[in-house]
Amino acid sequence: MSHDTHHAPVASKLDLAPERSDLGLLRPDRSTGLMDWLTTVDHKKIGILYGAFAMFFFLLGGVEALAIRTQLARPDNDFVTARMYNQLFTMHGTTMIFLGVMPLSAAFFNFLVPLQIGARDVAFPRLNAFSLWTFVAGSFVLNASWLFEFGHLAGWFKDFAWYKSLVYTDFAPANGWFSYAPLSGTFGQADAALHAPRFTGVGTDFWIIGIQILGVASLAASFNFICTIVNMRAKGMTMMRLPVFTWMTLVTSFLIILAFPAITVALIQLMFDRQFGANFFNPSAGGQPILWQHLFWIFGHPEVYILVLPAMGIVSEILPTFSGKSLFGYPIIVFSGAVIGFLGFAVWSHHMFTTGLGAVPTAAFALLTMAIAVPTGVKIFNWLGTIWGGRIRFTPPMVLALGFIWMFMCGGFSGVMHSSAPADSQQQDSYFVIAHFHYVLLGGVLLGLMAGLYFWFPKIFGRMPKASVAYVASGMVILGFNLAFGPMHYLGLAGMPRRTHTYHAGNGWETWNFVATIGAFILGIGVFLAFANLVWTAFKGEKCASDPWDGRTLEWSLPSPVPEYNFARSPIISARDAYIEHKHGGHKIGYENDGGEAGVHMPSQSWMPMLASFGFLIIGMGMPMMAMSVPHAGWMVIAGVGILFTGIWLWALEGPGGYMLKTPTGSASPSPVSATTSTH
Amino acid sequence: MSQVAESSHAPTSTGIDHKKLIMWLFLASDCMFFGTLISTHLIYRKLYPTGFTDAEGHQHFVQRLFDIELTSFSTFILLMSSFLMALAVSAMHKGQIKSFRRNVLGVIIFGLIFLGCQVYEFTHFYHMGLTIQNSVFGSTFYVLTGTHGTHVAIGVLWLILLYFYSFTGKLGGHVGALDVEVAGLYWHFVDIVWIIIFTVVYLIEYLGPNGFWGTGLPIAK
Repeated sequence: MSHDTHHAPVASKLDLAPERSDLGLLRPDRSTGLMDWLTTVDHKKIGILYGAFAMFFFLLGGVEALAIRTQLARPDNDFVTARMYNQLFTMHGTTMIFLGVMPLSAAFFNFLVPLQIGARDVAFPRLNAFSLWTFVAGSFVLNASWLFEFGHLAGWFKDFAWYKSLVYTDFAPANGWFSYAPLSGTFGQADAALHAPRFTGVGTDFWIIGIQILGVASLAASFNFICTIVNMRAKGMTMMRLPVFTWMTLVTSFLIILAFPAITVALIQLMFDRQFGANFFNPSAGGQPILWQHLFWIFGHPEVYILVLPAMGIVSEILPTFSGKSLFGYPIIVFSGAVIGFLGFAVWSHHMFTTGLGAVPTAAFALLTMAIAVPTGVKIFNWLGTIWGGRIRFTPPMVLALGFIWMFMCGGFSGVMHSSAPADSQQQDSYFVIAHFHYVLLGGVLLGLMAGLYFWFPKIFGRMPKASVAYVASGMVILGFNLAFGPMHYLGLAGMPRRTHTYHAGNGWETWNFVATIGAFILGIGVFLAFANLVWTAFKGEKCASDPWDGRTLEWSLPSPVPEYNFARSPIISARDAYIEHKHGGHKIGYENDGGEAGVHMPSQSWMPMLASFGFLIIGMGMPMMAMSVPHAGWMVIAGVGILFTGIWLWALEGPGGYMLKTPTGSASPSPVSATTSTH
Repeated sequence: MSQVAESSHAPTSTGIDHKKLIMWLFLASDCMFFGTLISTHLIYRKLYPTGFTDAEGHQHFVQRLFDIELTSFSTFILLMSSFLMALAVSAMHKGQIKSFRRNVLGVIIFGLIFLGCQVYEFTHFYHMGLTIQNSVFGSTFYVLTGTHGTHVAIGVLWLILLYFYSFTGKLGGHVGALDVEVAGLYWHFVDIVWIIIFTVVYLIEYLGPNGFWGTGLPIAK
């Protein structure tokens, strides 16, 4: 068999003899430094890379947000043009959702899921690397639109024929993150080159292909995670013993694989409209722009839960740890998460109450929307039940997790207000909606993810972030956030519309807009401080014990940083919250007789996933350039497809490879309780 | 020993191989994908039952555009290819590599015949005046059936690669049988999707004198 592991077990991958894959190419198994990070298939390194990219894009999206708030600080401001403003709010939303929150959640999925279920890696390590690099390709394509925009502003293109032929010159996407047709689509008849007239410039084409590529990355990752969670649990790790974070990862992954196809198809249809003159959303040829709204929100509403469920999972891990109690109502929390997942597919039209759906559908969607508040409320009561009577430790992650509950509840309340269709028609397109979803997505999701970062950072790098800086940063984030978005409730009800680049004085909006801008800057500095603290800690921070919080789940039983093979011996689980039971309860973690001198199987590193993703990058850059009529851009797309298929083909042919890595026999069981528990 | 060590063949919690499970998950996702495309087509058929107007302004009815005999033939061919695929998977499980090659070659040829019929059909419809640009029907029809055709083409490419790979001697044992079975799952799924498309895009146009959607005109006497 060609897939055999030829080597004797080695103590380190650096001891491996150079090995050739089935293709005869040298495997990059022994690489170090940059090469190691580029070819890695280790879920922990992939998780760290996801996290690093996500934090970068959080800051980029934050800069875009601050530009928006600066523009709105005073009436009739001209800090940016209306045209630039449209691009800013579009890219802000797109960046935060697809390049900030989703990859940061993916970072946690990657790092934690195998550790929490007692596995040594994900089911498909190379597919995991492919997800990462495809995400990077998609994020590059989306943001490349900014490079074209700056080239346009700097006048670099003015001698080119394709540039002179452009009717609209918004190079960065400018339709909003939802890209409603017909604004994002076409009108009238297609010409001989199959191009119909459009309402917006090439930014929309960047957006279409960028989101499409990001969708591929999310889908591939989700298939992988479901497979991992369902199939790679350690002995005794039954479904109802899974940590809640892993459960929420499972629900989120199912949401992704069932919701993303709708946006994939919608994007294909919009792309055919714009680039090949089709009529899916072209009103002058009978296309129905409302179809775009339906397809978008059939994806878009589950997407909201794709964003929030991981944060809920994180909070469900943090609250028990720092309350010294087990999670109140574990089965109900899990069940509520699954119900939210199901109902999430049945409420999309509440984004469309003002489109005139008719009385019956409107009433049905209003009722279902109210119904989805029930499992969400159940979760909140369970979290309160968890901290009730606990011995609470106000560590930075706990402060942020409590902030999550409070802020998310505020967002939830205004959400229930929206579920009432008559009220919603008053709030539609006003700042009230901005306030609502920022309370959910920023006060909720971002606080939850930050809590997770501070909670697991000691596990990831073996270093403890500075608590003093973390408290200051958390305080600034929560204060700044409420200053920025609290007043928007009032502004919205006072009639201030969304997505408008300025407003006149005299509407009574000046004061609160100014306050919101101050708040936004405090928030921005707070987030920057929180992230800077983490980056500093990763390199220079104080080393800490492997279980600094008295953790409850399996990952805390491992050394920090976690060795590349995760578990020297595979654990055997006999209780929920396996590690706290091991330390303080009656159920000890058992260990299988694997590893040791015989070694554990490690997957081989590979260049092929990155090569395939590179194909996506070329396709993604080629499609918008085709839309700009740049000469030979079509060939670029074809070359990209070629690279993609070649990458996948070589990936299949090189074989999975792998080698046996010896694990220390001494670390078969978790370190003694007294040495690792710094509190209590 | 090394079989156990290989990560994708270590014993799994459910007893289902990773590769098979991930293919089922992909197919679940693909159901939503085709569901969205088919819904788009049906919504627009209901909205615009009258068919399409070509470049010269002539009104065409969908029923008179379709060549149901040809499409029935290609549907039959695709169904039979699924039969051969099942035989190929079975042969692989029994380790009969020659039988596998014979059957999979049959699947490839039948797949290519189906694609040939689709290419012919597209060209024919194009000459009849139906383009992706001149009507909503053209857009939904070509994109839906074209996307299915792309799935078939990817399947054919995959099987061709497996066919030639089998001559290297590396395709065999449990891993080889699993790889072929996963390709088979994909192939059967694409076939089932076609049965749905054939029914809701083609056959229902023949229900009653003016088709399922009516023509928007008075019923022909």
